[in-house]
Amino acid sequence: MRKKDTSSLLVAIVLSSIFLTIMSAVCIPSKYQDYQFDIVSMPIMTPLFQGMADGVFPWSENKRTQQAKQDYELPEEITEPLVETAEQETAEIEEQIPVKTFTTVTDDYFDDALFIGDSRMAGLSQYCQAIDERATFYAKKSLTIFDIQKKAWIETEDGSKITVEQALSEKQYGKIYLMVGINELGVGNTEYFRAAYADVVNRIHLLQPNAIIYINSIMHVAKEKNDTDTLYNNTNINARNEAIATLADDQQVFYLNMNECVDDEEGNLDSTLTFDQVHLKGSAYEPWHEYLLSHAIM
Amino acid sequence: MIQFSDMRFIFRILPILLIAYYLLPAKARPWILLLGSLAFYAVDEPYYFLLLVGATLVNYLLGRGSFHKKTALFVVSVLLDVGLLAGFKIMDMWNQNFLLPLGLSFYVFKMISYQSDLYHGRIRRATFRDTAVYFTMFPQILSGPITRFSYIEGNDFWRGKHYGKSKKNYLLDIFYQLDDGVRYFVLGLALKVILADHLAILWKEIGTIGYESISTPLAWLGVVAYSLTLYFDFWGYSLMAAGLGVMLGFPFVRNFDQPYSAASVSDFYRRWHMTLGQWFRDYVYIPMGGSRKGSLRTLLNLIVVWLLTGLWHGAGGTFLLWAGALCLIIIWEKFVLKKAGKLGKVLGHVHVLILIPLSWIIFALPTMQDIGIYFSRLFPFFGQGVAVNASDILTNLKAFWGYLVAGFVMLIPGWKRIYQKYKNHDVMTMILFVVFWLCVYSLANAMGNPFYYLRF
Repeated sequence: MRKKDTSSLLVAIVLSSIFLTIMSAVCIPSKYQDYQFDIVSMPIMTPLFQGMADGVFPWSENKRTQQAKQDYELPEEITEPLVETAEQETAEIEEQIPVKTFTTVTDDYFDDALFIGDSRMAGLSQYCQAIDERATFYAKKSLTIFDIQKKAWIETEDGSKITVEQALSEKQYGKIYLMVGINELGVGNTEYFRAAYADVVNRIHLLQPNAIIYINSIMHVAKEKNDTDTLYNNTNINARNEAIATLADDQQVFYLNMNECVDDEEGNLDSTLTFDQVHLKGSAYEPWHEYLLSHAIM
Repeated sequence: MIQFSDMRFIFRILPILLIAYYLLPAKARPWILLLGSLAFYAVDEPYYFLLLVGATLVNYLLGRGSFHKKTALFVVSVLLDVGLLAGFKIMDMWNQNFLLPLGLSFYVFKMISYQSDLYHGRIRRATFRDTAVYFTMFPQILSGPITRFSYIEGNDFWRGKHYGKSKKNYLLDIFYQLDDGVRYFVLGLALKVILADHLAILWKEIGTIGYESISTPLAWLGVVAYSLTLYFDFWGYSLMAAGLGVMLGFPFVRNFDQPYSAASVSDFYRRWHMTLGQWFRDYVYIPMGGSRKGSLRTLLNLIVVWLLTGLWHGAGGTFLLWAGALCLIIIWEKFVLKKAGKLGKVLGHVHVLILIPLSWIIFALPTMQDIGIYFSRLFPFFGQGVAVNASDILTNLKAFWGYLVAGFVMLIPGWKRIYQKYKNHDVMTMILFVVFWLCVYSLANAMGNPFYYLRF
């Protein structure tokens, strides 16, 4: 028999649950309004904990995120973005400037290349030795187009983290390859995603004026995932790919539809190249490598 | 499927059930539990729900014959139960898209145990109410533990008598029982959510890379990760199930007893999912003669038990290979190693710490080809990998070292003793309180984002 004066976990949990539920309920209409909340399937305290993960507490002033992201605006100093300028003036300049076409190169092409991207790009770094031993990689799992400029996420040799802006100010590259877009499929709409992508491309161009910028298409998912996932499917991926393809000016910014080299006949990621339906297996990066070699601008 | 680690279960279903259970008169408690359990099952299995109800009715009616030692009825009941399980398992084997009824094995095992215990006079009285609660009770229906009917008889809170205690003391008993149950539940939740769910990501990462491309050190880390995942997932579940039972007034059921400190593989399986092992021992191995009828018969009985174990886990060849490998090790231990003195004891521990984790790889992988590839990476003299990144172990250790260390710490056998000694201490209460909210933090973020655990 327990001593009567021992503390009760049950009471502590019940009281704190009531307290946190009230706190969350009070803050849902204001601080947590941008969090998806469904009262049928989620306890009321859920947004409170989701907010904590983003550093948004009931006493925080700043609210996150998705709404703020929806209202994405280009920074003031980039009032005339490269890609927009290119689009508007394409008709005027296309007769004056020769069209650049892809050519095939050897691996030393990557000596002055930088690769920026999410886990798929991290996979290229880990499993394509030919590129990894020559190029620089800034790749991070779960990276999104929105995080690229906002966060200090690039790990330096001394273990500290710096922003892309800092990293790109330190060294000039000849080519910069991008691949992001799968993680943020559920955030914002296609126009908003495109605007954020355009901002990143423009910022890179400002910092690296001589670099060729390659926008890799968002890689498809395999058929099983495509057929069962309402968000991470190829219809959504294709919509965003079409949007970012328009950022290419074919002079300094190029779009690489890398899905050509990893898709099956139905336009899904070839299931023999993936285990989890989303990433290439370690042994399956060679098609992408070959594709990059045969789609280079000199 | 609503799991015990689902926030809707923790913050909605469970509190409502407990409030109804304890606010209504004691005599209503078994009925509340029965109704709650049936509703819990019906939400996930609206069609197979009828199968559960039908099997319960048939077993109760045939059980009356078993109780009066009518052998024919007893045999019919067991054949029906075995046929039910075997029939669904065979359908599952032939059709990959076929879904087995939730918890089928567990309630069928209880039904066989029920008939046998009635027939052999181990149950004094089995009312329909108690029988139905025993088969359907929600804390055990998904994955056990496989308790005996006597478990139902151990609930004092159904009788409504205070046993000479004042009403205040009776209510305090209920309160402390509830509090104890919550403690077990939180411990189980932590093992599942904090350890198992996160270590499972490491195992999935290895699959994502592709078994042919993992380095040998990462292959071994995968063995560790999967073994720990399975252990904490199931131990966590079992603790949550036992804790729920305690909250409802039942005795605590032990389903794990520090299996990795076992002295041999057979000892390991006496400590791992104990109620399943005990079930096979009492209702298959011993009725067949156990080890009392000579070496040859013991050998045969072991083979039968492990063949059934393999088939029960899944009908594919990989499960038979898994069970066959374990059976061989146990035969080797029983007939050779037992006579080898100290060396035998050392080798017994080596079996548990190395061969058991390796056996889980056979258990985990879906095809013989995958098993072949994985073992060729574990033992690279059997073959070369493809596009192997030698530093993959560092990337994964960097990401998962905390969970691995915590997992190893939780393997230390002394924890159970420490917990038992200090379980009602204020500091322990505080630790469990923090751990509970850490689990909720993790669950809430996984809930809002289905890929919280698997970001790309």
